[in-house]
Amino acid sequence: MAVKIDNDVCGHIENCPAAGLCVKLCEQGALIEEDGDVKVVPENCDDCDLCIQNCPNQAISKA
Amino acid sequence: MFIINREGVETRSLEHNNDVCLGCGICVDTCPTESLRLGPLVPIARGLIDMDYVSINEKTCVLCGLCAVSCPFSALSFEINDTNVKDLENYPNWDISLSVNQEDCLYCGKCKSACPRDAIIFERRLPKREDLVRGEISINEDNCLYCNICAEMCPADAIELACIPTTQNDVLANTISIDTSKCVFCKVCSRSCPTEAIMAICSTCMEQDNITETEITGNTFITENACVNCSWCEDVCPVDAINVEKPFEGTIKLVETEEVVCKGNSCHACQDVCPCNAVEIVDGKSVTNLTHCNLCGACIKACPTSIRQINRNSMKLVNINSQSWNDILNKLIE
Repeated sequence: MAVKIDNDVCGHIENCPAAGLCVKLCEQGALIEEDGDVKVVPENCDDCDLCIQNCPNQAISKA
Repeated sequence: MFIINREGVETRSLEHNNDVCLGCGICVDTCPTESLRLGPLVPIARGLIDMDYVSINEKTCVLCGLCAVSCPFSALSFEINDTNVKDLENYPNWDISLSVNQEDCLYCGKCKSACPRDAIIFERRLPKREDLVRGEISINEDNCLYCNICAEMCPADAIELACIPTTQNDVLANTISIDTSKCVFCKVCSRSCPTEAIMAICSTCMEQDNITETEITGNTFITENACVNCSWCEDVCPVDAINVEKPFEGTIKLVETEEVVCKGNSCHACQDVCPCNAVEIVDGKSVTNLTHCNLCGACIKACPTSIRQINRNSMKLVNINSQSWNDILNKLIE
């Protein structure tokens, strides 16, 4: 299933109030920082929804 | 941490102490004006974000005090004319006592090790070691080589040597001494001495009738503010000297569906926010140990898939005198 990021509302690490909180929260390596932005690695996602619940911009949803 | 106050016929003030706040959200649930907001529990608990668990909208807060009254952990304090409402006879209060029976306490310290909140202050006075043993020890310095073997061998670290180099390399400038408050006359030193310079006699067994029984004294107490009533201390106490009352009775369970299941180790949000050390991930699922759970409900709020269900069936909040307060506060146990 994995998750998807709405690029229009995502803070893209630089403008994220928590500087990439989803990347820090995800222990599965399903959300990684690449070239200063957040990237989803769908095969690592376990659908725990922790990122969806805690994204300060509500930019993450189910794919 | 926030403090808000307002002056009118009365001076009212509300203070939040984040150091003892569990992030359980009980106050948020009872606020009638929706003036309190719960922060992101998991990022705060994991130390990813530095912010308080609870924030307030000062403009909409009416300083009624319901939040402070409903908090079983004293994280919010509400004062009217500088008197905490806990001390006012018309206000509700939590009838949850904590006690340590000092007469039964063995001062073993197990409670302190088990406490997940560092809420137990504990000190003990041990007997002097020299009062428990009998014997004699002496060193014949004429034979001593100051080789330091005895000091290295001594299990009690009771022997001290000072080897002071002199121009003549004269051993007479060296010193050896035995700390008799540490020595237990085990004779390891005399057995290992290459020149038989140490004479030690142990008479502890022979004189055991003369060795008075020693008493270990101390103090163990639970700091009310830091305690979260998890009862770990009560549970581990070998002599049942601790009594901890919990604010709620009830259960917490996982209600999984075909679509939503507990992701256990991938998530462990419940475990991270639990102030009681009562949640464990077993075989990939969250398991709550109800013996140590205080039913605060922080895990319910933290679960991203909302599959945790709390059922509180009674609470120890007493002296609720107003019907409207009763209606709001009783929602906690519905």
